[in-house]
Amino acid sequence: MDAIPAVRLDGVSKQFADSYAVHDVSLDIDAGHFFSLLGPSGCGKTTSLRMIGGFTDPTEGAVVLAGEDVTALPPNKRNVNTVFQSYALFDHLSIEDNVAFGLKRSGVAKAEIRQRVGEMLDLVQLDGLARRRPRTLSGGQRQRVALARALVNRPAVLLLDEPLAALDLKLRRQMQVELKQIQREVGITFVFVTHDQDEALTMSDRIAVMNEGRIEQCGTPEDVYEHPTSRFVAAFMGTSNLMTGTYRNGEVALADGPGLPVGRRAGIADGAAVSVSVRPEKIWLSDFEAGMSVLSGVIRETVYSGPTTTYLIELAPGVTLSVLEQNTARSRMEDRWSGGETVEFGWRPEHCLVLS
Amino acid sequence: MTLLRLPSSAAPTPARTRIRTRRRRAGRRPRILIAVTALFFALLYLPIAVVTLFSFNARKSLTVFDGFSLRWYRAFLQDDVLISSLGTSLRISLVAMAGSVVLGVALALGLVRCRTRLGSLAGLIMLVPLITPEIVTGVASMLLFKGLGVTLSTGTVMLSEITFSISYVTVILRSRVAALNPEVEEAAMDLGATRWQALRLVTLPALLPAVLAGAVLVFALVFDDFVLAYFTTGVDPQPLSVRIYSAIRFGVQPTINAVGTLMLAGSIALIALALFIPRLFGRRGGLDILSGE
Repeated sequence: MDAIPAVRLDGVSKQFADSYAVHDVSLDIDAGHFFSLLGPSGCGKTTSLRMIGGFTDPTEGAVVLAGEDVTALPPNKRNVNTVFQSYALFDHLSIEDNVAFGLKRSGVAKAEIRQRVGEMLDLVQLDGLARRRPRTLSGGQRQRVALARALVNRPAVLLLDEPLAALDLKLRRQMQVELKQIQREVGITFVFVTHDQDEALTMSDRIAVMNEGRIEQCGTPEDVYEHPTSRFVAAFMGTSNLMTGTYRNGEVALADGPGLPVGRRAGIADGAAVSVSVRPEKIWLSDFEAGMSVLSGVIRETVYSGPTTTYLIELAPGVTLSVLEQNTARSRMEDRWSGGETVEFGWRPEHCLVLS
Repeated sequence: MTLLRLPSSAAPTPARTRIRTRRRRAGRRPRILIAVTALFFALLYLPIAVVTLFSFNARKSLTVFDGFSLRWYRAFLQDDVLISSLGTSLRISLVAMAGSVVLGVALALGLVRCRTRLGSLAGLIMLVPLITPEIVTGVASMLLFKGLGVTLSTGTVMLSEITFSISYVTVILRSRVAALNPEVEEAAMDLGATRWQALRLVTLPALLPAVLAGAVLVFALVFDDFVLAYFTTGVDPQPLSVRIYSAIRFGVQPTINAVGTLMLAGSIALIALALFIPRLFGRRGGLDILSGE
């Protein structure tokens, strides 16, 4: 394996007027990885991607591709290609000519161009549409053209700027799977920008969660989801029950509520203001085990949504937890609860995160 | 039942009354409007219709029509002075078209992409030629050439016409440039094109319909132009419009009717082409100068 990362951002910042779009970001992206930059809009993920592509110049720091500092190089001198959010297809050219554009620029022989364009259109399942114009294609097909046009150049890194955002949900799910398959097949490093945490979780080898121009956390999908290191990541990745309180002696006293037993935590001083985070699916309503923290509350709302049911349980005035129960064949009828009922609920200590 | 009927049984709402009055008024509206419209078109096109009709007159009279004939068209084709003027006008129009399109497109690209205070000031100044009385432009151009000691000739007409026409091209192009997706040019560079290649291979083809519409419009405007040409032309050769004006001063020949009819036909064909070209590319017009769309 190549030890040199495919992409390295080294203390990169982008300052607009007096605010930072990206602030002192450093990260390594390994060759062959599917890497996601995830965050809400305005968090700096697209700006970061544009700096890797060469469309935006960083005000500080360096962009390094496969060990070579490319900070000063224009986009056409970088061995990366981009799939733009708007697809940015050339409307006056046929699909074939759109895909061949990059190969023609780099002076590849005509016969080879024809062969590689054909193979690429096969790969993205657009063979037969080669002579059509982009305007006559559907959104999903245009998306594939944009992908083919970039991939056919065999770049070291492919940059994707929310490429699925414009597709409807069903098509997006299908393209997520396809995109991941294509990435595995061609073995090219993908840097994928998205605001959709589901998308990032299902597709990525690694995820960098960004907020306000900085990287909050970088790790595998499991890492980021199961062990968020900040309140922002816990709240942004999926649903989380976040409660604020004060830590003291292995217990977090909620603002106006009971104390939650959380166990002793290293690195958190007594009296520190903390957030407690428990995922809805990690809270049990029955069959408690030894060592679990068990509390009781009143069911205020039940939301049935097919495979799952969500219960909103009031622990104390103003403190409501959401609890997700699977509606599998194994769950028995007597496990179902209705509004107004007082129930016991609990979680394993390792599923309760204390974030300072 | 009662619940359902309640809204409809209520007294007619103010909105409904308003609709009814409007409809009644609308019934009375057309007669006077039709008359005004008819008068408008009569005043606008009657003189032109008379010119067209009398260009086919068999006699020399400009008041009595006496049978259909093509003799004045034949006379025009045999008139070397008029024919050479037509050639001069065509040359001036083609050069003015090429020059103002190149400069106008460049100016539109610059104005849209240079978002500084100086840039928006330039955008305003660019519009001034459109509202300046042409006679002012004409006299000013003439005085400038005289002051610089330049002999008036076909070349000076071309220069003035180019200057005057840039604004039209830029106004048409500017909104199209603004509507371009900046990511498309970036995509071209991402795929290995230099800045210049991106402009040539991606941006200009996307602008082509508007460029062609602008070119045709400029050609028609310059070919028809009299005022600017009159002030900036030399003695010989003269553009057709100026030549016709001097000819009329010594008595009107029916040949002029034939020339006028031919110019009219040519202009209509060009304007139609300008309107048609954007449709050809499946896009909306490039000719709406007021909205610049």
